[in-house]
Amino acid sequence: MIELRGVSKTVRSGDEPLTIVHPLDLVVPAGQLLSIVGPSGSGKSTLLGLIAGLDTPSTGEIVIDGTEITTLDEDRLAELRGAKIGFVFQFFHLMPSLTALENVLVPLEIVGASDPMARARQLLDEVGLRERAHHYPAQLSGGEQQRVAIARALANAPPILLADEPTGNLDSANGRHIIDLLVGVNRSRGTTVVLVTHDVELASRTDVTLAMRDGRTERRAPIVAPAAVPAELTGS
Amino acid sequence: MAFILRMALRELRASWHRLIFFFICVAVGVGGIVALRSLVQNVRTALTAEARSLTAGDVYVRTDQPWSDDTRAQIDARVSALEGVALTETLDTVTMARMAANAGTRTKVVEVRGVQEAFPFYGRFGLESGTPYSPTLLEQQGALVGGELLSQLGVQVGDAVAIGNLEFTIRDVIVSEPGRQLGGFSFGPRVLVAYDALERTGILGYASRAERQILLKVPEDAVESLVRGLRRDLSEAFVRVGSYRRTENRIERNLGRAENYLSLIGFVVVILGGIGVWSVTRVFVQQRLRSVAVLKCLGATTARVMAVYVAQVALLGLGGAVLGVGVARVALAAVPDSLAEQAAAATGFAVVSTALTGSAVVQGLTIGVLVSILFALVPLLDIRHAKPLLLLRQGEAPPPAAFDWVRLAVIAAVGGGLLAVASWQAASIEVGAYVVGGFVCVAATLHFMGSALVQTVRPFETARWFPLRHAALNLRRPGNQTRVVLLAVGLGSFFIVGMRSVQENLVTAFSLEMRDDMPDMFMMDIQQDQADGVTAILERTALGADGTAPVPALLPVLRARVIGVTGPETDIQGRRAAWRAGFGREYTVTYRGHLEDNERVTAGNFWDGRPSVEPELSIVDSLVDRGIQLGDTVTVDVLGRQVAARVTSVRTVDWDDSRAGGFVFVFRPGTFDGAPHTFISFLQGPAGRDARGALQREIVTQYPNVTVIDGVEVIRNIRRVLDYVTLVISVVGGIAMFAGGLILVGSVAMTKFQRLYEAAVFKTLGAKTGALATMYVLEYGVLGLLAGLVGSTGAMVLTWVLTREVLEIAWTPVPLTNMLGVVLTAVVVLVVGVGSSVDVLRRKPLLTLRAE
Repeated sequence: MIELRGVSKTVRSGDEPLTIVHPLDLVVPAGQLLSIVGPSGSGKSTLLGLIAGLDTPSTGEIVIDGTEITTLDEDRLAELRGAKIGFVFQFFHLMPSLTALENVLVPLEIVGASDPMARARQLLDEVGLRERAHHYPAQLSGGEQQRVAIARALANAPPILLADEPTGNLDSANGRHIIDLLVGVNRSRGTTVVLVTHDVELASRTDVTLAMRDGRTERRAPIVAPAAVPAELTGS
Repeated sequence: MAFILRMALRELRASWHRLIFFFICVAVGVGGIVALRSLVQNVRTALTAEARSLTAGDVYVRTDQPWSDDTRAQIDARVSALEGVALTETLDTVTMARMAANAGTRTKVVEVRGVQEAFPFYGRFGLESGTPYSPTLLEQQGALVGGELLSQLGVQVGDAVAIGNLEFTIRDVIVSEPGRQLGGFSFGPRVLVAYDALERTGILGYASRAERQILLKVPEDAVESLVRGLRRDLSEAFVRVGSYRRTENRIERNLGRAENYLSLIGFVVVILGGIGVWSVTRVFVQQRLRSVAVLKCLGATTARVMAVYVAQVALLGLGGAVLGVGVARVALAAVPDSLAEQAAAATGFAVVSTALTGSAVVQGLTIGVLVSILFALVPLLDIRHAKPLLLLRQGEAPPPAAFDWVRLAVIAAVGGGLLAVASWQAASIEVGAYVVGGFVCVAATLHFMGSALVQTVRPFETARWFPLRHAALNLRRPGNQTRVVLLAVGLGSFFIVGMRSVQENLVTAFSLEMRDDMPDMFMMDIQQDQADGVTAILERTALGADGTAPVPALLPVLRARVIGVTGPETDIQGRRAAWRAGFGREYTVTYRGHLEDNERVTAGNFWDGRPSVEPELSIVDSLVDRGIQLGDTVTVDVLGRQVAARVTSVRTVDWDDSRAGGFVFVFRPGTFDGAPHTFISFLQGPAGRDARGALQREIVTQYPNVTVIDGVEVIRNIRRVLDYVTLVISVVGGIAMFAGGLILVGSVAMTKFQRLYEAAVFKTLGAKTGALATMYVLEYGVLGLLAGLVGSTGAMVLTWVLTREVLEIAWTPVPLTNMLGVVLTAVVVLVVGVGSSVDVLRRKPLLTLRAE
């Protein structure tokens, strides 16, 4: 479960303070598939970064699976991410010097998982890239790279998967494939998925959509609300 | 740990080709260290194994005066108290050998040694004919000679040579000889004759220079006690007592020092490699920030990510070091024919091994890895600033804290580490501190000069000509390699230009001394009854280049040893005390009533012509620093006679002007009345080799004990040595320059990606390849010019300091060498820089832009 209480983010722009995310409360129950939508500069990615512990909020508390993360130092946050959070980026961010298989192996090796090779192969298999295991990122198409990134994000079976514009850099066919994968992950594994997107198709397939504008949540609307997952959502 | 190693290996797989230049830098330095250390260690092993044959006996007693009865009695008493002792004597002197009376007229300075039958106790002579050495070869005026004498005198085995009043038949040629000092300065070829025959030649006149030696063979357990006893007994006699162990220790010490200093040369190259490692790591980390952020996002802590990159550097350092060991192996395999055989021939024993020694290999590997890690640590610290947030916000990295304690602490630790490694290499903290301190100073100076010079091209940033403006901008763009290249290439150019300048200064200094009006011949050991005869010969000879040089006065000299200094602040009594105070050597002293042209009194008053009330002495100013003051009484021993004289003046001597020679002690005339003394003379020899030979011959034929040394020949020898030293140093400078070049290539390669992109954008915007090429030519031309200027200026300072403070010769500017240094450095940098950029120029812009 993800819980945000009074979380805001203010940065200095020149001499002026600039609030990117206004104070908000948010609860994402375990197993929910949540999308955050909104125009560029509305604060969606910043919010996602705050949830992942990539950035520190100016006010408020963030609780991930019972752990309050705003007081953790850089290394404890890294360990928490390694164990509990998978992340998928718009620009994939695979390590260019490693093969697809090795990219998936990295998080497994970081936590010292047993038999990482078998697990990594199985994950590549699941995203349909068994034959491409020994290719370098530069030898893969954008869609394939994003699938490797998803396999990597799922390596340690994290309870939470965060995705920042996962289809933003892909054509529609590849984008659809990625959407299927992410929804599948949520449905089959019960993984909590929070994704930031511009993609209407993708947003339409999530349990709940949170719209943002100028750093504030504008609207909360389950576009398609599956009965199985109740949405508890409070915007301020 | 497994993760760290695995990641390091995977990253290396992708990046090794970018790091290869630094890998080679480390290899070159480590190769130097391993090869030099191994070689010296092997020589040491060979020498110490047979240290006895270097002294040819267990214990020696040496003196440069005839044995006094007292001394002999004391030695005999000690020797007869022991059982199983054998004794033999040798006699060494420098003299003239000439062709036999009716065979020809050539002469040659030789080092002649007279030996008795039992010589040598240890070691073996090697003779050219292959026959084993036997004392019978020296019977009936037989002689064994060094090979070079045959060619120089134009004689063969079986011919006769004359030394003093005797003629000796050459029986064989000496190839190797026990009991000969290694690496010492040699006046001429060796001639070995029987001891009693040498005494009969008549050359050992009163006060002639000859070293007499008593060699003892004693049971091993008695060596130390005998040496101690003899030293006690003979503490006030002018003798030196020692054992083969002393020689062994000295060799150990000297070779140990040589090994350490030579290794420092390798260390300097490794440091250059380290600069390369530092530079590449800096750029590498910038290019890897995103990968670092990904690792952190996936759960790796900063420490683990740091460990991955440190492991990478360590692996690379190890790889370079292993390659270096290979290079050393190949290099050593290439020397045995020349060097090992020479070393073996010079010493007359076991061939020196050219295998690598274990300790040298371990040291080389350790240093390669250590230096790589030390230099990489500081740039690797930037990994701390790579936040995973970078992945969400392109190109946004928070600025590092203004004052970074960790960075400062790491820099201090790295400095300490380098100091430790240098001290370890030099086996001395002091030397290590000097090397690191000197290096830091040079590097800092080069760095600041570089910064200042870069500022000077700033105005071009607003130039209207596109290539010029962008060339100037490139030198200062973020992540530029300007300072690193300046440092590395500047240092190499500094070494090479500096050494060449010093050499030219030395040569100039020597040619100054060979000016037409300067003495170029030296005569010594002229006895009192020969002075008039020698002067008569000189008066008959046309001296000087034009035949009109004046006949020089013969200078009376005596050989004296300081045995006491008494004054308000000084109290040195006895031979040992004088030795400890630094006055142990034998001084050649003179007396005269006037100052020479090259002298000036700096304190006190030089005596006038009035009769002497008391013995007076004038000392050279450098002795004041060693404790002798104006007004002190100095007691000297002149062939057993003690003379006390008061210091009444202090002189400064211009040693460059050698017309009247230079004397440390000058006495007032009358001090040595009645004492036997000899004469020396500095003269301008006749013009032409033949005339010089004829003069030498005439003097030596009439006065066989007189030694005539031809300065022209000596200077030729010195120049040869000088050339050799310069060559060695130039090789080191060349290696440094090579390393600098590698760093340059590496730096260009590292920033290639950025320049590829820029070039693509420029081309898309309409820039032609020619304009871009011009831009690179200007950029690297300016960079090379700056590096050359920095190196040449540094070299000028180095030459100035070395000539004035160390070599004590006049400093002569060598503008041509400096200018050539600047131009050549600029050309090298230009060629390497532009050459490495050809790919950038030829690449189609679309390919690059699409890849971005």
